[in-house]
Amino acid sequence: MTVVIPDYIAPLIPWVRGIIGLVLIGAIFIAAMGAVWIERKLSADIQSRVGPCRVGKYGIFQLVADAIKLFTKEDIKPQNADSLLFNNANIFMIGSVFLVLVALPVGAVFINGVEYPLAVTEMDISVLYIEAVSALSIFGIFMVGYGSNSKYSLLGAFRNFARMVGYEVPLGISIISVAVMTGSLNIVDITSAQGLYWNIFLQPLGCFVFFVSLMADMGRLPFDQNESEEEIIAGWITEYSGMRFGLGFFAEYMHMVLGSFLVALLFLGGWNVPGFIANNSFLGLIAPTGFLLIKTIFVLMVIVGIRWVVPRFRIDQVVDLSWKKMFPLALLNLVWAVGLGLYLGA
Amino acid sequence: MSGIIDSYIPVAIFLVIAILMPPMTMFMVKKLSPRSKAASKYTTYESGSVPTGTARIQFNVEYYLYAIAFVLFDVEVLFLYPWATVYKGHGITSIALVEMFAFIFILLFGYIYLWKKGALTWVK
Repeated sequence: MTVVIPDYIAPLIPWVRGIIGLVLIGAIFIAAMGAVWIERKLSADIQSRVGPCRVGKYGIFQLVADAIKLFTKEDIKPQNADSLLFNNANIFMIGSVFLVLVALPVGAVFINGVEYPLAVTEMDISVLYIEAVSALSIFGIFMVGYGSNSKYSLLGAFRNFARMVGYEVPLGISIISVAVMTGSLNIVDITSAQGLYWNIFLQPLGCFVFFVSLMADMGRLPFDQNESEEEIIAGWITEYSGMRFGLGFFAEYMHMVLGSFLVALLFLGGWNVPGFIANNSFLGLIAPTGFLLIKTIFVLMVIVGIRWVVPRFRIDQVVDLSWKKMFPLALLNLVWAVGLGLYLGA
Repeated sequence: MSGIIDSYIPVAIFLVIAILMPPMTMFMVKKLSPRSKAASKYTTYESGSVPTGTARIQFNVEYYLYAIAFVLFDVEVLFLYPWATVYKGHGITSIALVEMFAFIFILLFGYIYLWKKGALTWVK
């Protein structure tokens, strides 16, 4: 059964999808709040503390209280700060998150055995697009660091720059290794192709390189040299206070959520679980999205947990790791993926 | 052709929201937050002492080297993207493979050169 769409409605569909998709912006804010809560609670558990517990049951509304605090703080711009850079940096950070969100499938529904991904828009080149727009946030960080005219901020921005450029290349190559297996740059195709064999089993090395590069790109510990508190106060956000800091902080956590989605979609099979066939109509609507969310939360908790396992690297170690280890490993994995793709495809 | 443009209309909608949201948030903060004036409040933090000089110093040259290396290899990665979609199942597999491995091989020479020259080593 196919629904016939009249000609006069067809041009409106992308607009409608875009406007309905704005719901996702709200969802990603809530998801980021959830990520912050998970991080605080898990960190507290690991350190034998209680963590937030006063605002709401188990402290779930702690972040609402924090948001109210941030909204009522005075907006301070340091003297000699570059207004143009300092004021507009948030647009790059938030914009990068929103633009990734457009192309990212957040689930799928199976109706009569046909797969419909839940994404605002579908592109032929969505992995390339996602990688391109997610790199935009580096501009925001550099604009803050350079614009606020503080030495600590500038050091943080420099370190951020040196780290980001090193890890973009292995990240790109490991994404290509995944695309090579399917012969498509569409993230929906890549995920659908992992019905039986997840990419983490086909190319574990690629998954490792991608995960490490992603951690570095998101600035998660042990890769947070741009704001290492013990050395350079707060790095690039030293002078970035109040709600401006709040938006940057939120953008960082939203990046973490989206990064977990990417790992789940590209390497952990997305909404696929081997052996699960969506023939039951109700299960087909709910289960695939549920699988994807479970995988995403798992990845998120691994990312948070690593924070307490590995101490922060020095900046020279980080740069060495990217150029001298991750880059050759990524190339090696590309060769492996090409060979494996030909072997499986033949 | 219209299909390609269609898939970017939601991107445009989200872009407009992304550009509008931070200024609107800051406008709300301006309405909600208190204001007070004090000269020392607007100084930058420098471990408690009075800030000296400007922070807009010149870049260390090694950042430039990293940037050059990044541009080189990121362009390489960009060339790999279209190749990844067509190398299989279009009847050009063997020639595409040979060409791409030759391409990567040549770039690897540049990589080894950079490494041996010490451009990838962090200078204290």
